[in-house]
Amino acid sequence: MRIIGIESSAHTLGIGIVSSGKVLANKKLMYDVGTTGMIPNKVAEFHIGNISTVIKAAVEGAGIRITDIDGVGYTRGPGLGPCLSVGQLAAKTIAATIGVPIAPVNHGIGHIEIAKAFSHTKDPLVIYVSGGNSQILKRHGRRYRVLGETFDIGIGNMFDSFARKLKLSPAWGSTVEKKAKGGRYMAMPFTVKGMDFSFTGLQTHAAKLAGKASENDVCFSLRETAFAMVCEAAERAILLTNSRELIVCGGVAQSARLQEMLHDVAREHRVRFGFAPNEYNADNGAMIAYVAERMLQNGADTPLNECDIEQRYRLENVVVY
Amino acid sequence: MINMKPIHKGAEADIFLEKAFGRTLAVKARNPKRYRVESLDRSLRKTRTKREAKAMYLASRAGINVPALYAIGRFSMCMEWIEGKLMKDSRQKQSVYVDLGEQLGLLHKAGIAHGDFTTANVLIKEGKPYLIDFGLSEITTSIEEKAIDLILMKRSISKRDFSAMTGSYVKAYPDARKVLDRLSEIEERGRYKTRTLG
Repeated sequence: MRIIGIESSAHTLGIGIVSSGKVLANKKLMYDVGTTGMIPNKVAEFHIGNISTVIKAAVEGAGIRITDIDGVGYTRGPGLGPCLSVGQLAAKTIAATIGVPIAPVNHGIGHIEIAKAFSHTKDPLVIYVSGGNSQILKRHGRRYRVLGETFDIGIGNMFDSFARKLKLSPAWGSTVEKKAKGGRYMAMPFTVKGMDFSFTGLQTHAAKLAGKASENDVCFSLRETAFAMVCEAAERAILLTNSRELIVCGGVAQSARLQEMLHDVAREHRVRFGFAPNEYNADNGAMIAYVAERMLQNGADTPLNECDIEQRYRLENVVVY
Repeated sequence: MINMKPIHKGAEADIFLEKAFGRTLAVKARNPKRYRVESLDRSLRKTRTKREAKAMYLASRAGINVPALYAIGRFSMCMEWIEGKLMKDSRQKQSVYVDLGEQLGLLHKAGIAHGDFTTANVLIKEGKPYLIDFGLSEITTSIEEKAIDLILMKRSISKRDFSAMTGSYVKAYPDARKVLDRLSEIEERGRYKTRTLG
């Protein structure tokens, strides 16, 4: 089967083509957040303007024609409504035009499953960290079970909004991470409750220090504290579930520092640790195609008129194939 | 002493057993974590040891079942070894949940939120619950912190057992209603709606 996957839940417009679990193409364009962050309608406009170009690039990159596609996947949610609609519309159009089945995919499941594939793990403890999500999960039967998560905002959102506070450009977490280089540690609020954590206290504290303390020091301390919170919760979850494998996925998993810290955690408990290449930790279409292929192989296609979007699509409700 | 094999390895501390004065003592040591920068690592280990000792002292003074505290070091503490079984490792009678609710009520009345109140942090000895691991506890008047104690436990036990627990919790703690109201409020915030199993 050759499956096309369309991801448009946030700033990234990603189109991937997957066949038998192998990625044939993974193309993307990213909306420039500048210093203002994401305005849903503006991002949707960007996706509308570019989607045909990116689809064409992916199809050509895979060395096929659009009519060679055997199935379509798109991100049903979670994400920004106007942005999700663009991918939904494109996916339905392709499926209807060439007459192939379609599968609506949960964005988070996409991140998890592609990371599992690249890390060759079977039943890992999952650390899913992105803009809107920060969760610790483990598969339980046919679904993922949330063992721990943020009480308030996603870890990526915390970094993004701090980047906006400092007027950094592009206003997102990786820029904060660059500024962290050479910083010294300053005490910050550290909020872990069992396997859950909270980032707003940390966010407020860092915002108060902005403009007063050294930018390097604040960025460094914010990063070290936030990641240490995730690591501690992860460690508790490893012990509780007796997991032998650990993966990290989602946009924030691109951080080399977080990868290094989780590697230390894994080593201490003699747990295998893995993650996907950064191209797949960031939002992408290949992960959507990858999950859609499995769904379609298992007969989990959806009638066209039932292909909707769901802005708050919780991943623990989703059956995993 | 720290070269011995721990009897329990936790996320933020290890437990070692030691014989002294003709009895078995538990030594809880907060060893360094390689993943944390050194100053964060030292400050967490120090404040948590101090905080835990204070919470245990206040709890035992309030008549709550906690291990007796014998000595406190900078990153470690020595306490009574309760020879029981972790609550999460076996099925419990309803009376355990009733007792547990009372214990939590007394704890909250004493101004302490446990911070990691799950069945992995309750020991059962001769049918009675003992609260352990106060490393994430908070001496606080915050209704929210107390509600989080209830949420964490609610997630790890059945609905029936949870209502047995809250029944006695309400009796033991005059402000219990406020905490239960906050609990529903937190659950309403959305993230938690589908969290509880069974």
